[in-house]
Amino acid sequence: MSSHADPVLDDPPDEVPDAREFIEAAMRWHFDPDTGSPYWLKRARTLGFDPRRDVHTLDDLRMFPNVANELRDVRVEDLIPRGYGPEPCVVGVYESGGTTGPPKRVVLLADWLDRVTRRAMRDMDERSYPRGVNWLFVGPSGPHIFGELVARQALARGGVRFSIDLDPRWVKKCIAEGRLDEAERYAEHLIDQATFPLETQDAGVLITTPPLLERLARRNRLVDLVNEKISVIVWGGAHMDPDTRHLLRTEVFPKVRLYGMYGSTMILSGLAERAGLTEDDPCVFDAFSPYVSLRVVDPDTGEDVPYGERGQVVMNHVSKGMLLPNNLERDLATRIEGPPGQLGDSVADVGPLRTFENEQVIEGVY
Amino acid sequence: MTGPVDLDALGPSGPYRTRQRLTVTELGGAPVAELSLVPRLFVQRTMAAQHDAPAMPADERARALRRAGELFATADVGGMRVEDYQHTVSRVSGMPISVVRAATRRIEESAAEAYRATQYARPTGAVNDWRDPLTRSGRAVWTRRGDVFAVHAAGNHPGVHTLWLEALALGYRVAVRPSRREPFTPHRLITALREAGFAGDQVTLLPTDYSVADDVIRNADLAMVYGGEEVVAKYGGHDTVLPQGPGRSKILLTGDDWESHVDAVVDSVSAHGGTACVNTTAVFVEGDPAPVAEAVAERLSAIPTLPPQHDEAVLPAQSASGARDIEKYLLDHAAGAKALLGGEGVADDLGDGSAVLRPAVFLVDRADAPQTGIEMSFPCVWFAPWSRADGIGPLRNSLVLTAVTEDGDLIDRLMEEPTISNVYLGDVPTYWMASWVPHDRYLAEFLMRTKGVVRA
Repeated sequence: MSSHADPVLDDPPDEVPDAREFIEAAMRWHFDPDTGSPYWLKRARTLGFDPRRDVHTLDDLRMFPNVANELRDVRVEDLIPRGYGPEPCVVGVYESGGTTGPPKRVVLLADWLDRVTRRAMRDMDERSYPRGVNWLFVGPSGPHIFGELVARQALARGGVRFSIDLDPRWVKKCIAEGRLDEAERYAEHLIDQATFPLETQDAGVLITTPPLLERLARRNRLVDLVNEKISVIVWGGAHMDPDTRHLLRTEVFPKVRLYGMYGSTMILSGLAERAGLTEDDPCVFDAFSPYVSLRVVDPDTGEDVPYGERGQVVMNHVSKGMLLPNNLERDLATRIEGPPGQLGDSVADVGPLRTFENEQVIEGVY
Repeated sequence: MTGPVDLDALGPSGPYRTRQRLTVTELGGAPVAELSLVPRLFVQRTMAAQHDAPAMPADERARALRRAGELFATADVGGMRVEDYQHTVSRVSGMPISVVRAATRRIEESAAEAYRATQYARPTGAVNDWRDPLTRSGRAVWTRRGDVFAVHAAGNHPGVHTLWLEALALGYRVAVRPSRREPFTPHRLITALREAGFAGDQVTLLPTDYSVADDVIRNADLAMVYGGEEVVAKYGGHDTVLPQGPGRSKILLTGDDWESHVDAVVDSVSAHGGTACVNTTAVFVEGDPAPVAEAVAERLSAIPTLPPQHDEAVLPAQSASGARDIEKYLLDHAAGAKALLGGEGVADDLGDGSAVLRPAVFLVDRADAPQTGIEMSFPCVWFAPWSRADGIGPLRNSLVLTAVTEDGDLIDRLMEEPTISNVYLGDVPTYWMASWVPHDRYLAEFLMRTKGVVRA
């Protein structure tokens, strides 16, 4: 079986396709009985609209329900567009962290991996990441796409990836059960392990999560090693508040360049912090247009908030290999105008949806 | 009034203003201050610096504490006059201003007395310094259990900030996480301590949001945490955390002459605006509690409703919605009790978005009624009958128990009961305090240990 993909879906990574043309082509691909995935073809029957007829723009993607939760149960085979033929080039199957309930699964296909890796190379060039150095990754690998993408990018950049695995589900479970000592012990175990490659190996890039970076920052010996060896720190996988970011940049790792990465399993990629931000700028993430686009909406009404206001992040992934539109993430962010030509918004100062405060305690004097 | 003031964190190298700020409001909702909330990393780094900092010599500490108390109570501190400080505390916490003024004086006295106060807790066999000649033949030296002491402070009463001054006097480096409801008192006090000679790494103010609160404790050697049952449940088993839980102070009246104790009961219920852990929550009366309760209710009902910043105000205020929540909670839990005062509600709206909480007096019909443990942050008291047959069971779990009784055996049992922290005998209000009398054990019992020392 041959694929009937519109060439616009296969545009070279350094070309940015026209958004309308691209979205229309993607709808034809994902909802054509010959090329769409079994999941979407079946799901289309209950959508109440015909994506091939009705969906042309980013705004039109709002017609789709948020189907992310259905990815907990769907057979992964059913997620692959039939247009890839009987032997699609599958890199792997990856899972969400599992914050709430069973994990959601996505399929990573080779053409998307290639696209996202090339994009990452371009981003890194713009930010002057070193080439030919090794990377130290302390974060979720295993079923999670973060570690996989980092490994590919380290290789593409001419280095190898040293890896310390973090199982975020275990940490979340410990915390949910109130076993904070266990979570603490596990996190310290990870930092203990990270010490070995930092001490004995050459590594120029450190990639980890904000909580682990904070934890690493407690150990003076490791802070010295990082300042001495590492030229770029990339953080992702969790939020970093602006005050922590400022402290890390100015006081803890003054000799290292710090970049954020806003990623999600559900977009099969991470978005790099905008290059050239000054000390006083918020941490802005631009989209990977038109494949990964963002909106920032009022959680109550679902309408876009004005630029500069905080709202909940909606992510769209539209590519040849996957369609996951209108996915409301559990993140709040400031809506920022994107660079010229970008589909949708950029976001800044991404933070958690809610900090639960038990302010109102009535009984007692304290 | 100008716009909200910036209330910075106080880190090792001075005031620290963050991007994440919390607006502290008056009860009516008007913003008063922008409180900088520090992230976990700042807590870590600050407290690491405190661990590394050497303690000041004891004599300098005592002198600087005394000086800080004077500054706190009399001077412009961080550009704020003491009158403005008191007015602000009254407007954000709803505490009657006379209570804030009295607390200001008490903080001054406590600062002056902090070192002396610690010495009451020193075992008679222990000396303060290894250089004491007594160590030549073997002696205990009184030493700190750690270097850094953290406080999760409460905002109910400025007086909570008298206790940790003793830790400072003992050479601890102290980190205070203020209540976000009333951060003004510790901010002023720590600023005054710094002006009086404590270096930035000796005492810090670390306002944080809820998610970082535990880090303040985790990064300390020892910690003191104010809170309710949940705090006691969370930290009760840790020997490095001292919970300051519910007060549930009580009065026991035996004998026939209850009339001469009505004053003490009324005062115990209503002093400090009823917001303190040493305010009386329940009164147990041998025989019929109704006449006492009625007399107390009559007296309390005469207290006027006044805004908290009024010189004559006695009752505390809350935001109007907060007051309604408190009222609902109280009435929801009063089932089975007979209301003598406040049965129709306790929230008295001031019309400016705030409401005064008026006194409540209830009668329950047995000594072990569950309501006798309901401690509220305004004058609210439960009267219960008590007989010798009830024993001391209903009197347990009391920060202070005032017992009007001549029964030596009963007093013995109260003394032996481990869940009663203080026993006051006779016509003494439950809020009575003196710097040489422990509040809930001496804090120094928790902070210090003895170490055997001998010199050959």
